[in-house]
Amino acid sequence: MKQVAKQDSIDWVDLVGAEWAEWYSLTPAQRLEESSRLWQTYLELGGSLDPEPDSQSPFYSDEEWCAFAPHGRSGMRVVRRG
Amino acid sequence: MGGQACVLYGGAEFSRDTDLLVLADDANLERLTAALDALEADVIAVPPFERRHLEGGLAVHFRCRAPGATGMRVDVMATLRGLPGFETLWDRRTTIETDGGTIEVLSLRDLVTAKKTQRDKDWPMIARLVEADLARHGEARDADAVELWLEELRTPSLLIGLARELPDAATAAIPRRPLLTHALAGDATALKAALRAEEDAEREADRLYWAPLRLQLEQIRLGRRASG
Repeated sequence: MKQVAKQDSIDWVDLVGAEWAEWYSLTPAQRLEESSRLWQTYLELGGSLDPEPDSQSPFYSDEEWCAFAPHGRSGMRVVRRG
Repeated sequence: MGGQACVLYGGAEFSRDTDLLVLADDANLERLTAALDALEADVIAVPPFERRHLEGGLAVHFRCRAPGATGMRVDVMATLRGLPGFETLWDRRTTIETDGGTIEVLSLRDLVTAKKTQRDKDWPMIARLVEADLARHGEARDADAVELWLEELRTPSLLIGLARELPDAATAAIPRRPLLTHALAGDATALKAALRAEEDAEREADRLYWAPLRLQLEQIRLGRRASG
């Protein structure tokens, strides 16, 4: 593949913060592993797997969301996520 | 193709559901049905799980009941706005090997395109996806990656830095992304405004695309209510 010039190093911590810089540095497999850990913690803390109501989604229906939410709640807030 | 793909590419840390893009032919939908049956997945909301709805661009929403997957949400789609058909997307896919097996996801460029929606939350995601790709490359540059960054980066300082580093490539990309003129000029204010305009145009295109589909969903809901 054709190679083009190099760029000076980017200070990712300065640009996006330490947490995201660290996340960017992981491989996809490492991210999957870390995300699975977050998933487990989230479930252990009682988090809901249903999405939060998203009125901007073309699929969103207020009536339907209430009817199909299994616990009648939006679930707890995630501490770390994209 | 959705949140889980964003996790793998570095744009997100967590996703509560799994979005699947499928080939909507009879044989494949039969296999999908068997897999969903194994997960004891029920359709929730509208539309019902029918080939015509998938081909029409709607998503079918499931919730699983099987042990080990209880409560897990799965959304299935067969077409995505702004992207070609499944076969082409499959040819362009990224294959990721993990301890748990092989995962096939949309290519990064296709995922970025799929994320250009009317939803606020998708735009920071696009920025992170492309940033993560740039970070992954370190100082390595190849033409395909540079093209993706020049066309999809949403972080003004990175775009300006890249245009400064690769002025010829940035100039060549201007017909595809006119706001690169601001990046080449180092004009962060104009660049931010142009990025916002670019986002607004995509959001409007997404709203227009979904307007008839939203009507269709509403008609299905009305029909369901009428039939009790």
